[in-house]
Amino acid sequence: MAMTLTIPKLEMSMVEGTLAEWVAADSSTVSEGQVIYILETDKTARDIEAPMAGTLIHKAAAGETYEVGFEIGEIV
Amino acid sequence: MAIVNEGNLGIEPKVLTEIYRQMSRIRAVDKAVQAGLSAGKFMFSYWPMTGQEAIPATIAQLTSSRDYMITTYRGIHDQVAKGVGLDGLFAEMLGREDGINKGKGGSPHISDPSSGSMLTTAIVGAGAPIANGLAYAAKSRGEDRVTIVNFGDGATSIGAIHEAMNLAGVWKLPVIFLCQNNQIGEYTAIPDYTASKDFASRAAGYGFKGVKIDATDVAGFYREMKAVIEEVRAGNGPIFVEASTFRLGPHAGVGDNKNVAADVLAAAKEAWALQRTRTLLAEAGVCTAAELDAMDSAAQAEVDAALAMASASRVTPATETLIDVYADVDTVPRRGHYPMRADEIVPVGEPRQMMMFEAVAEAQDIAFARDEGVFLLGEDVGEPHGGVFGTNRGLQTKYGDRVRPTPIAETAIIGAGIGAALVGMKPIAEIMFVDFAGVCLDQIANHAAKQRYMSGAQTHVPLTIRMMIGGGMGGFGAQHSQSLEAWLTHVPGLKVAIPSNPYDAKGLLLSCIFDPDPCIHLETLMGLRGTKGDVPAGDYRIPLGVAKVRREGTDISLISYGWQVQQCLNAADELAKEGISAEVIDLRTLVPLDYHRVLRSVKKTRRALVVHAAVEFCGFGAELASTINEELFSTLKGPAIRLGAEYAPIAYARDIEMNQVPNAGSIAARVRAAMQQYK
Repeated sequence: MAMTLTIPKLEMSMVEGTLAEWVAADSSTVSEGQVIYILETDKTARDIEAPMAGTLIHKAAAGETYEVGFEIGEIV
Repeated sequence: MAIVNEGNLGIEPKVLTEIYRQMSRIRAVDKAVQAGLSAGKFMFSYWPMTGQEAIPATIAQLTSSRDYMITTYRGIHDQVAKGVGLDGLFAEMLGREDGINKGKGGSPHISDPSSGSMLTTAIVGAGAPIANGLAYAAKSRGEDRVTIVNFGDGATSIGAIHEAMNLAGVWKLPVIFLCQNNQIGEYTAIPDYTASKDFASRAAGYGFKGVKIDATDVAGFYREMKAVIEEVRAGNGPIFVEASTFRLGPHAGVGDNKNVAADVLAAAKEAWALQRTRTLLAEAGVCTAAELDAMDSAAQAEVDAALAMASASRVTPATETLIDVYADVDTVPRRGHYPMRADEIVPVGEPRQMMMFEAVAEAQDIAFARDEGVFLLGEDVGEPHGGVFGTNRGLQTKYGDRVRPTPIAETAIIGAGIGAALVGMKPIAEIMFVDFAGVCLDQIANHAAKQRYMSGAQTHVPLTIRMMIGGGMGGFGAQHSQSLEAWLTHVPGLKVAIPSNPYDAKGLLLSCIFDPDPCIHLETLMGLRGTKGDVPAGDYRIPLGVAKVRREGTDISLISYGWQVQQCLNAADELAKEGISAEVIDLRTLVPLDYHRVLRSVKKTRRALVVHAAVEFCGFGAELASTINEELFSTLKGPAIRLGAEYAPIAYARDIEMNQVPNAGSIAARVRAAMQQYK
């Protein structure tokens, strides 16, 4: 079962977020709970953990700001 | 393998296993929510309770679905352990129609009476006053149910907790105030918001026991909670429990708690009861690794299935918008929808002359005699005064403990009324002056008014609130003379009645008491002590939402309510001498509002003036005038107009007060001007 990764809405006021850094490399194997990328909002930087184990596919570049809901990757 | 028993574990092995099973279920739910949120799979507000699982998991072993629970928005762990079905819980969090509350409450507003989860509030501290009402209902019905109200340490700073604890102490209610002290109130940690060394010691100030228990030690927490619950169940009054725990997550969202130092968080993770209990069960030989894995897998499978079911459920459609605001959807005011409700059946009882305060007392007497669930609570409602205005005279003598004088604590009064109403009682809460609505408006507007809707009609609040309105008498000053009905009519979910005479007061109040929705019965002082009239004996009801023509006329409709109706009638007498024929409409109820009869009258007279004692600006008259203008634009000789009090606090000086509030003279003057202008 694959899981799509999109920019989450983690604060009521959040409309966009910056994918500051991919901590886990493209096509790497990740375990559930492992930090995979860092998300920056106007308030804070957060470690985003892998919601499931699998192979991480990057679909968006780091250093860019995306709207909430924008697809940035997938775990397959 | 060593023989494991209660002696060396400090708790029966079977019980500890069951506590772990619940913790595992809670953890699986928490992880699924956080995974879905961080992946962007779904989006909703979530306040993680990671780290606090042991508290409800332990309590679940000591209570049943018969016991009542109230919790807060950070309460998904409480819901899971209480027995709320995961299918309905996930569907609710996702806003789906198969949600336990039809998706209308969402994660911060779960209500599931079948499991005993009675109400979940997103207003910090507001659950405690309501818990008192649940506990009062159980106690007065002779039931051995225990009510547990959960709140965070942050809630200990707010007044509602103080009012609730004081009332629970004086009434010796079977309620447990369960403070889940996770060391931080939203983003501000202890000691930045309190100088208190602990919270448990505060209970002594209210005359009952407070205990502080380490909730990361499951065996110890179980033992102490067992004693607490047994003592409260036995009828020995309330207990305050400070359950020490730690919030491992943020206030809202996903991940770690970033508001505490890294070493503090690391230590808290070490002490996390979830992991420690798992290790203890394995090391003590109570469960094999395979058995523990099986429990975790079963929890995961249950969560996966629930999430799949919830995701497949339809998003609650917009066609649901007006459903569950009230029991009857026709109560909802809607543009273009003006149902005609049948007028009252003329009562046959022998009439007797009385003042309005006597009519109010008689209505309550009838309600008390008719239904065991009716009771009255409020400040000074007992003898010898029978309420400061005598509206309850004789009731305490006749009905004893069903008349409950309270501390001076309006939030506690309304909260207790809401809680008792949630489980089918029919409380009458007396708030001495409507001016005090400000100190209990959260209970009225956020809880009584919204509970039917937020619970998707799983519960409702058949509560009657009686409030006196000053004004026009002189001498009460700015804080005891306001007409605040527009505050109340602006909140969907409340019904508001305001009688102008003793006959209506009795019939409207009886309708309110037996209505399934929260009703506010506004009693003007000018009416209570100033109007006398014939009141038939026995039970009769004036339907809510039926206006009355008090005087027929052809030139203008004067639309009013409460004691201003009499001012309009006096003005009409004056105007008749000048050849102006004014029709006077008494609304009697503001919600539901009888637009049918109002529009019928104005269609005939083609002029309308709305009169009220409240300030004119943004007053209830603006709503009426606007709708009349919109519906009858082409019929009217001129626009519907308003006359309310001038925009100033009510003055103490008599001449100012009498001048600023409409009276027969000023009403007649406004009518004359309108007749001149709109020929």
